[in-house]
Amino acid sequence: MRRVILFAAMALLAGAATAQLPGLRKRDPTPPPAPLLVGIDALRADFLAKTGSDIVYFGGDASVLTPQAQATLQAQAAWLRQHPEVAVRIEGYADLSDTRDHALAVGARRAEEVRSYLVLLGVPAAQLTTLSWGKEKVAVLGSVPAALALNRRTVTVLVR
Amino acid sequence: MIARFTSLGLLSLALVAAPAAAQGSVAVVAVPPLTTPDNSSRGADSPAAIAWQASQLIASDLRSTSELVPVGPNQKDYYSYPEVTAPTFSRWRAQGAKYLLTGFVRSNPDGRFTVGCYVYDVAKGRELGRIGFAVAGGEWRRAAHKCSGLAYTAATGAPAGLFDTRIAYVAETGPLNARVKRIAVMDSDGTNQSFVTVGDTIVLMPRMAPKADALAYVSFVGGQPHIRIIDFDTNQQRPLVPTSGMTFAPRYSPDGRKIVFSMQQGPNTDVYVVNSGGGLPQRLTASPGIDTSPSFSPDAGQIVFESDRSGAQQLYVMNSDGTGQRRISFGGGWYADPVWSPDGAWIAFTRRIPGAGTRIGVMKADGTGEQLLTAGPGDEAPDWAPSSRELIFQRAGLDGRPALFRVAISGGEARRVVTPQDGSDPDWSGVID
Repeated sequence: MRRVILFAAMALLAGAATAQLPGLRKRDPTPPPAPLLVGIDALRADFLAKTGSDIVYFGGDASVLTPQAQATLQAQAAWLRQHPEVAVRIEGYADLSDTRDHALAVGARRAEEVRSYLVLLGVPAAQLTTLSWGKEKVAVLGSVPAALALNRRTVTVLVR
Repeated sequence: MIARFTSLGLLSLALVAAPAAAQGSVAVVAVPPLTTPDNSSRGADSPAAIAWQASQLIASDLRSTSELVPVGPNQKDYYSYPEVTAPTFSRWRAQGAKYLLTGFVRSNPDGRFTVGCYVYDVAKGRELGRIGFAVAGGEWRRAAHKCSGLAYTAATGAPAGLFDTRIAYVAETGPLNARVKRIAVMDSDGTNQSFVTVGDTIVLMPRMAPKADALAYVSFVGGQPHIRIIDFDTNQQRPLVPTSGMTFAPRYSPDGRKIVFSMQQGPNTDVYVVNSGGGLPQRLTASPGIDTSPSFSPDAGQIVFESDRSGAQQLYVMNSDGTGQRRISFGGGWYADPVWSPDGAWIAFTRRIPGAGTRIGVMKADGTGEQLLTAGPGDEAPDWAPSSRELIFQRAGLDGRPALFRVAISGGEARRVVTPQDGSDPDWSGVID
């Protein structure tokens, strides 16, 4: 029953058309349910639209949140508080100029910093996991400072 | 699939005389073709064919060092079977050789071959050492590597067996922002390459056990990066420690019984040690910050590691129980990836110098005597050759693709280590037996 309420709440919030939920119609045959926001792709699209970005950037070797990063995370936290059923993984990255071992730890430190900040803003801790990619999966190639800066990031990934 | 080496039958091994060359000088070694007692057989698997290929391999091994320059093998330098143990020294003196390597390949009634090698000081007309093996036909390469090691040890005093070693690394393919990575292992001369993992998940930091009979590496399989151990005898693999957190930066102790590594908990990363067979990890560092890249001293009494507890990454040494932590690097920029040399004298590292990228260097274990060995700007991840005279490391090309290079700590240009694909995270095994 809780799931039904949640999905109804999501539908009201988002109003985006997605697939029907199997089984829902049997319990509540009339009126036909409004289009529900259920697919993970639709959730991700809504998350991006409402929060502006799933990425925050970091300076140098740091894991300190800039004012801009805090603003992005505040928007993310607002959305996540309204979607407590959505599991989220914070993925941390370092740039290519870092050494491989240290990069893994720095990616984890950035992801943990974001996680702590989201919890501080009222997102349930159980909703959030972290993962570091170190200097794997670079977003932008190249060794110029601007390219390196775009790789020092965390990405908030909606898992399910 | 990697089959562990079968043991070579050791026939005889005389002690090698004291080193005859001062370290740092370059000496000429004559490597005439190994001879055979009977040259009537000329087939592809004949003693003569193996003798010629083994001679070429020995010369190639010695050429790969920075201390020895081989001359040969040339067919005109043929010598008779009795001359293996009674060389005509004047002939090699005339070629300017300081050392001479002679030897033979003989077929045995059981179908195996005997490979024997002798090393001489040409000026003194004196034997410096000899070595011999009975091998199956396909194993002559290992015997030839042992012959190379005999010459190298006689000339430099380095430990025996240096050419019969393995290199593990990460083989990379695909676009730079979505690389397929596989753990590869090859003989240190670049032959016998095989893949240990299949490329379905990102893998990093292969680190072989001292005898190359097992390998630790970091895998993203299942999500969280964690250390896994592959036993090459059984081909079984398992996580090093059962934890949901991130574990990485593994390195074996010199006796292979322990593994020192990093584990992340929240924003903090510390150094731990655990028996290589598993068990409860013991925490060795507790500072807030990132403590990683640990490496044992050869007597296992100390561990060098990097920490950013002072703000930037610097090198620290501690006792192997975690006590007595002290900083040993104080230069500008930062220092990372420390690795203790097998002879205990040096610590290799990656150093970032602001505006100049990353370079490979060495310092003594007390932090003095720092030298930078490479020009950068994208050099990292050094590991020691078992001779303690050379380092293998990873260098990013101008296009960003990584390749393996080696450089002598006595100086000189870094040289490319040829791999079939791009290579990163190199690891050089110890002497296998």
